[in-house]
Amino acid sequence: MKLVGIAGSVADKSYNRILLKYMATHFSDLADIEMLDIKDVPLFNESDDQTESDAIQYLKRKIESADGVIIATPEHNHTTTASLKSVIEWLSYKIHPLDGKPIMIVGASYYDQGSSRAQLNLRQILEAPGVNAVVLPGNEFLLGEVKNAFDENDNLKDAGTVNFLQSTLQKFVKFVTVINTMKHPQDTGAESEDLGATGKISTTVEGVDMAAPDWVEQAAEKTHAASGNDYVKLDRGLLTVDQLNAFLNSMPLELTYADSNNQFIYYNKMAPAEKMLAARTPDQAGNPLSMVHPKNPRVIKHVKEVIHALRTGQVPEVSMPVPGNNADKYVVHFYRAMHDEQGNYMGVNEYVQDIMPTVKWYLAKTGQKLEGNPDATTSASVDDAAPAADTTSSASVDDAAPEPAPQAAPATDADSSASIDD
Amino acid sequence: MNKFVAMVGTNAKVSTNRTLLQFMKQHFADQAEIELMEIADLPLFNKPENSPVPAPVLAMAKAIDAADGVIIATPEYDHAVPSSLMNALEWLSHRVHPFVDKPVMIVGASYGSLGSSRAQAHLRQILDSPELRARIMPSSEYLLGHSLDAFDDQGNLKDADKVAQLDGLFKDFQTFVTVSGHLNNAKDLNQKDTKNFDWNKL
Ligand SMILES: Cc1cc2nc3c(=O)[nH]c(=O)nc-3n(C[C@H](O)[C@H](O)[C@H](O)COP(=O)(O)O)c2cc1C
Ligand SMILES: Cc1cc2nc3c(=O)[nH]c(=O)nc-3n(C[C@H](O)[C@H](O)[C@H](O)COP(=O)(O)O)c2cc1C
Repeated sequence: MKLVGIAGSVADKSYNRILLKYMATHFSDLADIEMLDIKDVPLFNESDDQTESDAIQYLKRKIESADGVIIATPEHNHTTTASLKSVIEWLSYKIHPLDGKPIMIVGASYYDQGSSRAQLNLRQILEAPGVNAVVLPGNEFLLGEVKNAFDENDNLKDAGTVNFLQSTLQKFVKFVTVINTMKHPQDTGAESEDLGATGKISTTVEGVDMAAPDWVEQAAEKTHAASGNDYVKLDRGLLTVDQLNAFLNSMPLELTYADSNNQFIYYNKMAPAEKMLAARTPDQAGNPLSMVHPKNPRVIKHVKEVIHALRTGQVPEVSMPVPGNNADKYVVHFYRAMHDEQGNYMGVNEYVQDIMPTVKWYLAKTGQKLEGNPDATTSASVDDAAPAADTTSSASVDDAAPEPAPQAAPATDADSSASIDD
Repeated sequence: MNKFVAMVGTNAKVSTNRTLLQFMKQHFADQAEIELMEIADLPLFNKPENSPVPAPVLAMAKAIDAADGVIIATPEYDHAVPSSLMNALEWLSHRVHPFVDKPVMIVGASYGSLGSSRAQAHLRQILDSPELRARIMPSSEYLLGHSLDAFDDQGNLKDADKVAQLDGLFKDFQTFVTVSGHLNNAKDLNQKDTKNFDWNKL
């Protein structure tokens, strides 16, 4: 773990700097602590923006690439120092490198209260919205009467103090891990989704190239698949394969089956590709999911997130309207997790539907009208009227996504939903 | 007539807190003599061990010494007093101690609706520390929110209620200064205490 340490002093001699140095050398097994100097940072002045100066850019880079920050604050006049506050102001003005950063506060003072007021004050400053750091709660490390605390080699004399400091740092290291994991939820598994379907599940047909245009024929031969007039026993009923096809192909939905190995193994070929809402071609059946999506990394990332959220049960269904919907057409892609009787994940059931005919039919039958939102354009008002339910489920997947900044921006959804089919 | 130093709590060239103090100077011209004091010329405080006190610090300390009271207008940066004002107060508590027993009125303006409330609380805490020991007017707060829209072209406060509130507080401050003048039995001792106060000797 990489940490940076800032001592809030520009004086030639500072016990807070000595304290940080002590931590850096004695606890190197816990963390790699690099000391940052603030001596060259000018006093903050709104009328003389120095954000681009070397001294501030250096701090920005170092802080951004660190996992966490330790700040050692002296106490001046019952508060933290102007020199430290000035640094924080620069780092909360045009740039915000401390945003979301885990921070541990320590402090040394000549007095027996050991900078307790300065630490409390610093905590409040660091939690102000423009700074928005994440300060380790509790665990104050106050080093009072600091003039007697170090020996001539700048080592802490008291073993109890050393132990306490070490255990505080241990807690902080854990805290940093937790906070940084929360910030990057993609690390929790979505990345592990194998869209190339290189794995194998019990139903995977081995020895047939998934990319082959006639995968269906080859795989059917290999498995001696039922066809035509052969009967298939279902839950609940009995149909021939021909009956089953007629039934599925007359659904007012475009159905797709992607198995739990992320292989696209079925769609109901109800129409030629150009007549479908989400084009599928016969040669695609059998392809790994990576082949049926564009190679755009953002799209791939989003597909992985959706599948992973369904696989892990974070959401039962994800729904996403496609771009280009209007007052007469509102195409939505629904993704639903499938499970066997034991609850094991069996893959994704995707169904694509233009819900507008249904909406219109319902309105005509009940004599109702859509009420436009006066603030929106025609098509937007339909947008607003329709998929409230969708937004929740797709948003919840977005929530799982990492970027803290724009919440469920429509463009993100639109791009990615398009992706699943393009 | 009382003489007050009005300390602009920022080094920024444009400041609604400065506008507020300029307004007070005009508005109370018949009741008190108010001189604005800037803090922009001070170097960054680096806890010098033996170098002489910088000239601008000495000049400020003298002006405060000579005044009957100090009005400080503080902006709010990151829920606290700006570093430039903290810096000035560090200089003014290191080998010079002009704030000891000095009556102080705190005001503040901010762009948001809270009017620098957190910075003012912070400033109280600072002024209360042993090397400053100011006499802050108790139970008073003047919070000017939405400060960018608070003044007209002539620099006058637009809101009559806000003016009335300031009038009341200023009157109280004048009384507070008078009362404070009677509380000087311990003053010499306090001043000596503070001069001898040394964080090194605690
Ligand atoms: C202007 C000034 C104000 C000080 N105020 C305090 C104070 O309020 N509390 C305190 O414990 N020490 C105070 N000190 C003393 C030390 O500077 C302080 O204890 C500091 O935390 C020591 O850490 P350092 O060696 O890293 O500077 C003050 C010193 C100066 C120069
Ligand atoms: C680094 C920085 C931090 C700020 N933080 C705050 C804040 O915490 N609260 C607030 O009301 N305004 C904040 N502001 C905005 C204004 O500067 C502030 O409201 C100030 O009190 C306005 O006073 P002035 O016109 O005298 O500068 C901040 C500005 C800067 C540059």
